[in-house]
Amino acid sequence: MRSDAEPKARGAVEYGADLEAPGMLWAALVRSPVAHGRIVHLDLAPARKMPGVVAAVGPDDLRTLLPKAALEAERPVFPLQEIRYLGEPVAAVAAQTLAQARRAAAAVKLDVETLRVDARIEDIFPEWPSAASAHDPHVVGHVHARYGDVDGKFRTADLVHSETYRTSGVHQVAIEAHACLAEIRDGTFCIRSSTQTPFGMREDVASVLGIPESKLLVEGSWVGGGFGGKGSAFLEPYALLLAIASGRPVKLALSYAEEFELGRTTLPAIIRLDTAVSRGRMVGRRVRLLLDTGASLPGRDFAVGYSIGFLLGPYRTEAYEIEGYALQTNKPPFGPHRAPFAPQSVFALESHIDGLARRLGTDPIEFRRLHAWRENDRTAYDQPVGPFGLEAGLEAAARTAAVWRTGLPAGHGIGVACGFWSTGVGAGGEARLFLQPDGLVILEGEREIGNGSVVQGLAIVAQRVLGLPASAIRVQYGDTATAPFDSGVYGSRTLAALGQAVEKAARNLEKSLASRVGVPEVRLELKNGQVVVVAGRRRQKLVDLLTPAERAAGGLESHGKHYGAEKKVDASRVLEGTVYPYNDFAASVHLAEVEVDRETGHIGVVRYAAFQDVGTAVDRTSVVSQVEGGIVMGLGTALSEEMMWTPEGRLANPGLLDYRLPRIRDAPPIHVDLIEGFAGAGPFGAKGIGEPPIIPVPAAIANAVADATGTRVFELPLTPERVARALKLL
Amino acid sequence: MTDAPLTLNINGQDRRLGAVPDAERLLDTLRWRAGLKGTKEGCRTGDCGACTVLVGGEPTLSCLLLSREVTDEPITTIEGVATVPIGRAVIKAFAEAGAVQCGYCTPGFVVALAAQLGRSTTRPDVETLIDGLEGNLCRCTGYRAIERAVELARKAVP
Amino acid sequence: MSGPFAHRKAINRRPVGVCVSFQLVQPATPDEAVGLLAKAPAGEISVLGGGTDLLFDIDQGRASPRQVLSLRKLPWRYARWEGATLVVGSTLPLRALEMDRRVQQQLPGLWEAIRDVGSPALRSRATLGGNVGRCAPASDLLPMLIALDARVRILGPSGVREHPIDLVLQESRKTSLGPAELIESIIFPSAAPSCYVWQRVQPVNDISQVGVATAFLPDAPHWRIALGGLQPRARRLSEAEAVLRSARPTHLEQELAAQEAARRAEFVTDRRATESYRRRLVAVMVRRALQTTVERMPGPRGPRKAAR
Repeated sequence: MRSDAEPKARGAVEYGADLEAPGMLWAALVRSPVAHGRIVHLDLAPARKMPGVVAAVGPDDLRTLLPKAALEAERPVFPLQEIRYLGEPVAAVAAQTLAQARRAAAAVKLDVETLRVDARIEDIFPEWPSAASAHDPHVVGHVHARYGDVDGKFRTADLVHSETYRTSGVHQVAIEAHACLAEIRDGTFCIRSSTQTPFGMREDVASVLGIPESKLLVEGSWVGGGFGGKGSAFLEPYALLLAIASGRPVKLALSYAEEFELGRTTLPAIIRLDTAVSRGRMVGRRVRLLLDTGASLPGRDFAVGYSIGFLLGPYRTEAYEIEGYALQTNKPPFGPHRAPFAPQSVFALESHIDGLARRLGTDPIEFRRLHAWRENDRTAYDQPVGPFGLEAGLEAAARTAAVWRTGLPAGHGIGVACGFWSTGVGAGGEARLFLQPDGLVILEGEREIGNGSVVQGLAIVAQRVLGLPASAIRVQYGDTATAPFDSGVYGSRTLAALGQAVEKAARNLEKSLASRVGVPEVRLELKNGQVVVVAGRRRQKLVDLLTPAERAAGGLESHGKHYGAEKKVDASRVLEGTVYPYNDFAASVHLAEVEVDRETGHIGVVRYAAFQDVGTAVDRTSVVSQVEGGIVMGLGTALSEEMMWTPEGRLANPGLLDYRLPRIRDAPPIHVDLIEGFAGAGPFGAKGIGEPPIIPVPAAIANAVADATGTRVFELPLTPERVARALKLL
Repeated sequence: MTDAPLTLNINGQDRRLGAVPDAERLLDTLRWRAGLKGTKEGCRTGDCGACTVLVGGEPTLSCLLLSREVTDEPITTIEGVATVPIGRAVIKAFAEAGAVQCGYCTPGFVVALAAQLGRSTTRPDVETLIDGLEGNLCRCTGYRAIERAVELARKAVP
Repeated sequence: MSGPFAHRKAINRRPVGVCVSFQLVQPATPDEAVGLLAKAPAGEISVLGGGTDLLFDIDQGRASPRQVLSLRKLPWRYARWEGATLVVGSTLPLRALEMDRRVQQQLPGLWEAIRDVGSPALRSRATLGGNVGRCAPASDLLPMLIALDARVRILGPSGVREHPIDLVLQESRKTSLGPAELIESIIFPSAAPSCYVWQRVQPVNDISQVGVATAFLPDAPHWRIALGGLQPRARRLSEAEAVLRSARPTHLEQELAAQEAARRAEFVTDRRATESYRRRLVAVMVRRALQTTVERMPGPRGPRKAAR
């Protein structure tokens, strides 16, 4: 059982939202009322006169507050002139109470010259971009890659299948909104924050404010849900500036409306797919992607460069051409949301392939199996595919689908979809272990964000290496000054990458003890609360093996590091921009059974099955829970979640009443089948599991709807009205 | 505005909470005046259930309730629920079922479930108990583990 | 950046969040409450029932009263049966009605509509009186109240008056209540086979794109069909009712009534649904609601189909 479960359930752990410090002030952001405009005049004086206000900071105050700072020109803390999305913070105030801070923020005088709002990518490019479009000022990223004789394949094809898909903006909606607390202790800028990446936060805040990292200390709090949304610097620079200005601790926490309006999440896209088929096989593909990246920064084409590979899928591709554009709009910036843009890409690709299989009269599962990557295949960018459980997953899914198929009621349909994910094993991390006379302490800068990878996963890795019982292993959290470096809890990497550092540290510990005893290997036991070192028949108390210095220090310390190498892409295939390499592949094969109300378009999810390539399930309960959680989150993306922006760039649904999350009765029965034996790079062959389960969900649902009705829906989410339109009910 | 100090009966004790403004929500009074931060702040619009507490024994959203309106009713927060046998059994069930991930929504679920199990008259069946959690959002678990926790808790409570 | 599209604009920024302050008054008797309302300057006082709607509006910056009058201490938290008539005090939490087996059996449509309001914890505060008083177009209860011919007892400076719900509701967020009047109770004259169905994106805690309430009342004309999810407010569709001529209308009659309802109702397009989708839904859901209501008619051995 997870050690954090019981304290969390009785409300006894401190999240970012709970942070408090003596003499603390509350902050509020002054946010732009327009989506695009130029600041003509910003006057903080009225706010400074409001009751309870202690500090107000705007763009003009940065020089005074941080005289030596080398501020980033590309990413100003506050916009100096141009406002690029509705709700963009232009200043911040701190007061004795939150109510006073909010009132003062509302009193700030802001004079804005409004500019034309570009809120929708289809308005920017009503037609697909041409060669000249690359120079359009809205284009902030352009990726173009090609391999093989694409034109030839399309020219000689028996059939070309062409479709266009559209996806919507979705929000992470961690139940805890963003929150942080900044204060200055002995000249050090200290930030406590609900973050997935304390070290990344330190680097990013230092960079935005132009100050050395050594001046900053970041300590993670417990995190009330992350899903990619609690990464780099966000609220922290504002809180820190107010703390410097006021000399007091400053708390800044977002309301849900702010949470939605400030975004940093998945934004809409238009995806065009063309597939050439010869002799029943897919032989060539053209992919065109228009990705809304909101008020993102020029040159930041990661979003499109990372996403576009998902549109080729985990399938052998003889020839392809992919081209993607990241477009700047007057929306909040694009940001990572659990498997960034993969569920959307896979919705398009797997719907497309499914429709193609049906068109060819081939079984959709068999059609995928025909093209599936197997170990030692090469990816589209010529990276080697390692052990990969896609084929095994498809075979298992075929058996389950056959069972479901028998006695399938009228109006029901079954859909399949696959996905792959690249676990972020390249990102580095370090571990520090202390073996104490009464147990093992794992020191970490990360906090557990919920998936169990830190509190449970890392502990189990140490447990498996050393043999100690779970009760004797404790994860202790440090800040960026005391804890070993790690890249952060993201990219499904924690267990798979940081786990390797813990594994190494544990093995070092084992080696050190073995050499002290004078044997090749030892294992550990806990006896009467004491750690005992076992070597064959010999048993010795740990205390007796420690040097006096180690005894004084409280135990034996051990370190482990993991810095993975990224697999290279074949640069000759990339004509423009950057495509991102994928590393350690995990496969997902999902099945959904749905019931479609043919009169209203309402979709009911009857049951669901996931065949999940996990390498090795290090902790079954945690893994199953991740799979179930990912699926239900994916059902939100599939069926109900949608950020709705008006042409004026205003988010029409900045709250949970109209941004609809799955609830307990929306969770169907879920059969989770963990496919083991295709080892990943992680400890004991583990693969990351945080993101893979969400990826195929929207596609599986859409394919089930197509199976039930013979009609395909080309846009996410599949709300009843969209389905009704596809069914031509109106 | 009323300046009179506010006293609320929280977890069986009368708590003097100072000059609470009339517009203040019970959620804020509990968290920032009574120091009971186990009650979580979520959406503040009544849609997520993270702030669920018991008022007069009924699960209630503390974000949509004025503190000064509940001076004559006993209030029980997760800290109080956690001290009684039913509450302890529910907490144990959540932990054992793997129904706690980030944990931010969990106290709200625990309060809502414990209240239903604590009703003296009838012992609701599992389906009714699950219906009673319709107002609580969880973004991590996909709810299946929470349903397993409901089954465990129902078995554990006599 | 400046160009043909640029122009200066005065911008109003609305304070949103926990920044509103007001004075809370909690009268102990109905007379005291009416007196306080009568004294307060127009527009400066808001009446607080369960608070689930008003406090939400205050947070969203849509309401900013100087005074809030809480009904919580008034003796109106009751539900009592007087023969076949159900009288519900205006401040009784919906949750209490939901737990009442007799409501479920005798007014199944009302029970369903109540279950469709928010979540259990929300229903432990939300009230019938609040739903009527706030008169939200999105209310799931108002179409059912209309279909059941509910009557509203209103207390004011000149005493008590009683009106059919249809006359009390006026337009979105507007009732016929005077500034110093309060809703004392809601009266359901008789038990009735009834049904409430809706279409939403999400089944729980969502706003209905349309809501359809049907009921078969003891006195002629028996049938009632009322729609919610309309602007400016829920309303009855007498033209569709007129199609139904017996206690057990044929499938064809049910279908015709549904089509008449879809033809007559005035819909709007908003972010929750388009006008044409709403019209389509009404055609389907009126038929379904009628069919269920017919199934709930008492047969030789009681109602044939109870609310779930």
